[in-house]
Amino acid sequence: MTTFRSFEALRLANPRSKPGFATTVEAAADQVRLRIAAAGAADERSVRQRRAGRPFLGLSAVGAALAAAAAIAVVVTGGTAETATAAAAIHKAVTLSAVSANESGTVLVRMTHDGQLWASKDIRWNGSDIGITDNSPGRASSGSPLLVVNGILYDHEPERAGWVNVGPVSSIDPGTGTSPTDQLAAIRDDIGGTTLLRIVAAMTGPTTARQSDGSTIYRGTVASGQIATTTGFKEGQNIRVFPFGYVAHDVAADPASPLDTAITVGSDGFIREIAVTWPGWTYTVTYSNLGSTAPLVAPADAQPLR
Amino acid sequence: MREGECERGRRFDALFESYSADVVAYCTWRAGSASDAQDAVADVFLTAWRRLDAIPAGDAARVWLYATARRVLANQRRSTQRRAALAERLAFAAVTDKPSSDSDDDLVREALHQLGALDREVLLLSEWEGLSPAQIASVLRCPQVTARGRLHRARRRFRSTFEQLADREHLRRHHGPAAEVRATSITHAFGGDS
Repeated sequence: MTTFRSFEALRLANPRSKPGFATTVEAAADQVRLRIAAAGAADERSVRQRRAGRPFLGLSAVGAALAAAAAIAVVVTGGTAETATAAAAIHKAVTLSAVSANESGTVLVRMTHDGQLWASKDIRWNGSDIGITDNSPGRASSGSPLLVVNGILYDHEPERAGWVNVGPVSSIDPGTGTSPTDQLAAIRDDIGGTTLLRIVAAMTGPTTARQSDGSTIYRGTVASGQIATTTGFKEGQNIRVFPFGYVAHDVAADPASPLDTAITVGSDGFIREIAVTWPGWTYTVTYSNLGSTAPLVAPADAQPLR
Repeated sequence: MREGECERGRRFDALFESYSADVVAYCTWRAGSASDAQDAVADVFLTAWRRLDAIPAGDAARVWLYATARRVLANQRRSTQRRAALAERLAFAAVTDKPSSDSDDDLVREALHQLGALDREVLLLSEWEGLSPAQIASVLRCPQVTARGRLHRARRRFRSTFEQLADREHLRRHHGPAAEVRATSITHAFGGDS
């Protein structure tokens, strides 16, 4: 055994020498531009409070981000001009949506199985405040909203017929990864563009269908593993989890399975819906009021937790 | 667009063009998952965009970016404490997520896994990122002499671990699993590092 072999092997294991590294760098470039664009919009808001008359999208990075997103989309997807145009349009919508989602928004997440509602969750957020209502059938928590306003967690308990002030979010399950703060961080990841960009980048052969209301639906296939990236272990089984915390069942449990995916971009240029289907199942995320969801209000009649 | 903003944009583009691959590579082997790595890269360059005037010129900019990436990743890990232990275990699996057909690659991954986190970081900053001991000291914020000592120790431990694993693999291939067990027992019995 020589020293040469061990260190030569180490050098060859450098991530730079792995296939796909160049693509990873390109994807990172996209993400960087998106993050700077989003931060630019946020920075701009604070500047506007002090200095009127400056255009909303004044920061050069935002314009650069949109142009670059379009350019990168062409590189990532390749293929026909139509495919490239579709990918560029989705990228632009993702970038716009992510900038607005940074402020506020509403999403409705639904899963159906054999045509029946399987799970449903309604999420609203504005700044750091968030409201989550689980409307999944047959769950004890179904219909009970959970609200975080100004760092205080409020829970709605039907048996007590009212709101309960549970206390500061920071004191609840700290470090477990399941606190409302962790949930909010995870939801922001899912909403804020990272998830959308990954799905768009993985979509093969998107086709375009213009709708009468001015929206456009882009359809293609995406490997399940690119949508349900989170892995876990539940009831003795390895599982994959979709954004917003729903388990990928049946065919979707295989990360290589191509799933039919449709992304709807509204006439206003924002992402409106992502729908994923596979035999027996649908998974839908519907976005609304990105950047214009009303501030969440703390319930006035909340009782202290006893 | 104002001239100052144009100039700022050009400087940032040049910085990104020069060092994005380095930051992506570093975050890839340090983060717990590909998405964490991408997130960290975005945070590093967002910080760079905001603090562009504070970034030193030349190769020192690269060291500045590594140091920033290190802080970003540390914050990321703190904010996801529950995932941190898993991330640490998976960090090298993420580099080569797919099963490798190259046995040396597997040996490298296992040998790196067996090193302490700090030894591993120092070694890879040197071998994968090409930093000098002085630059490593800047990234880790420790004296140069400390970085040099850690690097020496990490290289020695890596080589020793790799060689043990390679010998074991060689025995397994040529004599079957039983030989591996026997050889391992003998090595342990003599407390050897043969």
